[in-house]
Amino acid sequence: MIALIILGHLVVGVVELSLWPEHRLKEVLVYLFLLTGAATLAVLLTLNPYLPVPTPFNALGNLWNTIWQGGGL
Amino acid sequence: MKELAPDSQAITLVILFILGNSSIVGLAGRAGNDIWLAFILAMIMALPIITIHARVRSLIYNQTIGEGLASLYGKWPTRLLALGFGFFAWRLTCFVAKDISEFVQTAALKNTPQVVVVFFFLTLAAWAAKEGIEVLCRFTAIFIKGIFFSLAMILILLLTLVDFKEFLPILYHGFKPVFFGALELADVPFLETIVLFGVFDRFTAKNSPYKILLPGFLIAAFSLMFITNISLAVLGAESYVINYFPVFVAVSKIDLARFLTRLEAFVGIAFSLGAFIKISACLMAASKGLAIAFGFQDYRFLVTPLALAAVPGSQWLIKTIMQLDKNITKVLGPTELIVQAGVPILLWIIAEIRMYFWRKNGKKGGKPTAHRQ
Repeated sequence: MIALIILGHLVVGVVELSLWPEHRLKEVLVYLFLLTGAATLAVLLTLNPYLPVPTPFNALGNLWNTIWQGGGL
Repeated sequence: MKELAPDSQAITLVILFILGNSSIVGLAGRAGNDIWLAFILAMIMALPIITIHARVRSLIYNQTIGEGLASLYGKWPTRLLALGFGFFAWRLTCFVAKDISEFVQTAALKNTPQVVVVFFFLTLAAWAAKEGIEVLCRFTAIFIKGIFFSLAMILILLLTLVDFKEFLPILYHGFKPVFFGALELADVPFLETIVLFGVFDRFTAKNSPYKILLPGFLIAAFSLMFITNISLAVLGAESYVINYFPVFVAVSKIDLARFLTRLEAFVGIAFSLGAFIKISACLMAASKGLAIAFGFQDYRFLVTPLALAAVPGSQWLIKTIMQLDKNITKVLGPTELIVQAGVPILLWIIAEIRMYFWRKNGKKGGKPTAHRQ
């Protein structure tokens, strides 16, 4: 399954890049970075369907709940 | 690439964006039978923020969003803002995609993996996002007539099942549930319109942002209020709260002489179309945000990787239908409060201060072209 996911993303990347009229280095790098990110997320989620979600604003939520207890957040 | 959508078509995009995935889910359930009060309060809360949003866009109406924001706030703050905004739009894409996949699995395709449904929806949305805002607005202008006609017919048929006593007694549980219900509605879907800040590239006239956002918001909000209240009056407050898709359940009760039944399919189609429009707009906003952040002129090449990332993202950010329901019915959370209310107010204050000093000093360089006399 993991091989299939990587192959799928690879095919999409190759086909899309071949269709671009011009290949500027910065655009290609950003495109590849995002595509790699998408493939990595798909692979990680296949390995662990309960992959934890980062919650950077949780501290603010906790502070709010402390200030306004029973506020319903 | 500068794209321009006529005001009349852009309004339809705003309406369908707000109705989108919200037209079928159980909004503001905690307000119970005072849900209509929660809607009115939420509209009063959201309207100033949307007006602020329109005001900021009217200052830079004839520039692309990237150019306009850079002239108001400077290059690097704009890039940082666009990056955060793009991530928020991508996150919303994932939420709506999860919503549609859960609905399809619950209502029709029970054994089909959600990833398959999400993949096909996102492929279509990526195509729409790549075609641009003009095509998307034309699409919504055509389909809104069919959606509103079918919804109107269904709601008229539902009137035979309505029991208005469900709304009584008013404020039996006090004002607190109404207030929290209003905050729920302000979060999803009213203030999600902040995503449209980055969707429209430029406008035809200075007052176009007002002419598009305010009527669009009000039409969608009143339509949603009507749909939700009719559903609650059919099902009753308790049944409305326990169902994940109460509008769908309410419409399934229509039975006209055992001849006209199973009309919930129309609601399902309207919901799917709305969700498709919303996903497309969110994907476009996310791509434009990232394009501005990285300093690119065109956003289209970023659409495919972001759409592909949203397929696992939709299964990652929300894992179950209960989490989905909790996400839709939560009171305005910290992330939403910052992005949907805090950032627009801050941007507006900074923009007004800069405009004041530009006017006072008569400064020409870097001043938004909208204010050059």
